[in-house]
Amino acid sequence: MFESMIDPTGAPDPVTAPGTGPALAPRPGDLAGLRLGLLLNTKRNAAELVDAIAERFTRGHGTVVSARHTKPFINDPVSPEVLADLVDRCDVVVVGVGDCGSCSASAVTDGIALEAAGVPAAVVCSEAFRATADAMATLRGSPGYDYACVPHPVASLDAAGVAVRADGVLPELVRLLSSPAGDRVGT
Amino acid sequence: MSAAATDPVDVARAAVEHAYEQGWTDGLPVVPVTAATRDEFLAATRRDPAEVIVHTGNLGRECTVEQVAVNAAMAGCRPEYMPVVLAAWDALMAQRIVTSGGWQSTSGPAPVIVVNGDVRGELGINSVGGVVGPGFRANATIARAIGLTVRNVLGIRPHELDQATQGLPGRFSICIGENEEESPWAPLSVDLGAAPGAGSVSAMLIRTCEFVDNRDTTDPEDLLRDIADTVARTGAVVGARSSAGLLLGIEHATMLADGGFGKADVAAWVCERAVRTAADLRAVGKGRAAGAAADDTRFPLVPGPGQFPIVVTGARNAGMSLVVRPFGFGGWSGTHPVDGATA
Repeated sequence: MFESMIDPTGAPDPVTAPGTGPALAPRPGDLAGLRLGLLLNTKRNAAELVDAIAERFTRGHGTVVSARHTKPFINDPVSPEVLADLVDRCDVVVVGVGDCGSCSASAVTDGIALEAAGVPAAVVCSEAFRATADAMATLRGSPGYDYACVPHPVASLDAAGVAVRADGVLPELVRLLSSPAGDRVGT
Repeated sequence: MSAAATDPVDVARAAVEHAYEQGWTDGLPVVPVTAATRDEFLAATRRDPAEVIVHTGNLGRECTVEQVAVNAAMAGCRPEYMPVVLAAWDALMAQRIVTSGGWQSTSGPAPVIVVNGDVRGELGINSVGGVVGPGFRANATIARAIGLTVRNVLGIRPHELDQATQGLPGRFSICIGENEEESPWAPLSVDLGAAPGAGSVSAMLIRTCEFVDNRDTTDPEDLLRDIADTVARTGAVVGARSSAGLLLGIEHATMLADGGFGKADVAAWVCERAVRTAADLRAVGKGRAAGAAADDTRFPLVPGPGQFPIVVTGARNAGMSLVVRPFGFGGWSGTHPVDGATA
């Protein structure tokens, strides 16, 4: 009845069909001794949590932190220069922490960009921002993209609280970075 | 209503319901738009319908002049508002915080669209009593057009990519005229380089407005202290900074001007005194940014007078002003010309 009413919505995103996002990078199987990259944002406790995670990787798997970058603008996708450096110097990368409306989505964008460049990535998001992280994954053609969630909140934690989050999320990060891609959702 | 209804009023209601069913509304009814309506709006601007006027770098999404026209019509704008809506988008696009994800923030920031020049009178844009609304079609619908475009074209919707924790009242309803006729100072647009009287639009995102009610003093410094106290409240502190500006009422502006203050003087005075100590920040759990500073170390909250926007607006009927809280520290967008089809 209302065919003449104009649809006010935007054009479809260039890549929205499920499965049109990049394939996940091949997983190493074993993290022992690998070069670990860290991609941080400036949210409160992001650096603390990612560094605590890196320490646990080093202790448990002998990984070596080979690059550590902090994004100057939390909302922006990773810059081409930083992406190239991570690709050049890292075997696997941890990205985080997605702990706000736009930076959670941005962290997912970065994780997918790293996968597209051939580097296994694991994104850490706060549980509170699943909706926006999932929406961004869909927008990037990777609906169901798998990332690691930590319980909310993150920003208000003290050092002990950060350590608890790092301990809790570690097994999931190990799985995301080392399991064969076929085990994962969103491939 | 049955789809077979023929009464045009019932059909109109059904069309509104159809828009709801499609998810095209902000919660309020929208005006159904046909191709003929869209073309009326496009005829009100010289800009190419295919011109990309809005973009979001982080999402890779864009919006054309034509899509703005459709959403402006849906919002209840008249076609002649179109050049102001487009200038508002030009202004918003000049703000990095808008192009890089601001609409998605937990802050749920609102655009404040400030219109200067003769176009206010021509379009009926209110700049006096009740300027922040409601009750004035141009003010209400120009701002709403921005919100519908964010929702419909950029696809940034609540509970999805829009992660506003609470948002703020009237998020997409703040379009104001500056009360140039009663302001003691030059208009914002002239400060930003436009010719007096030229239709101009400036914009920024804000997190809220809060009132300063002071009808008690004739001493401009008393009033400035009152304003500085509001600016310096700890709830607005992020890190060790606050963003702030003023929608200054006529009575307050006049008192300040009569006391020898220009706008820049007001900004400098308030920024110098909107200060908290390290002890103040620690007392509310925000001491992290103070580091190891001594308790009496002073932290000026506003980064500088250039970060303290002032617009004179509202009625000359009471000593009231609003402190606005810009989202981020980008300042004004600059001012952008209203470029109509017949300009």
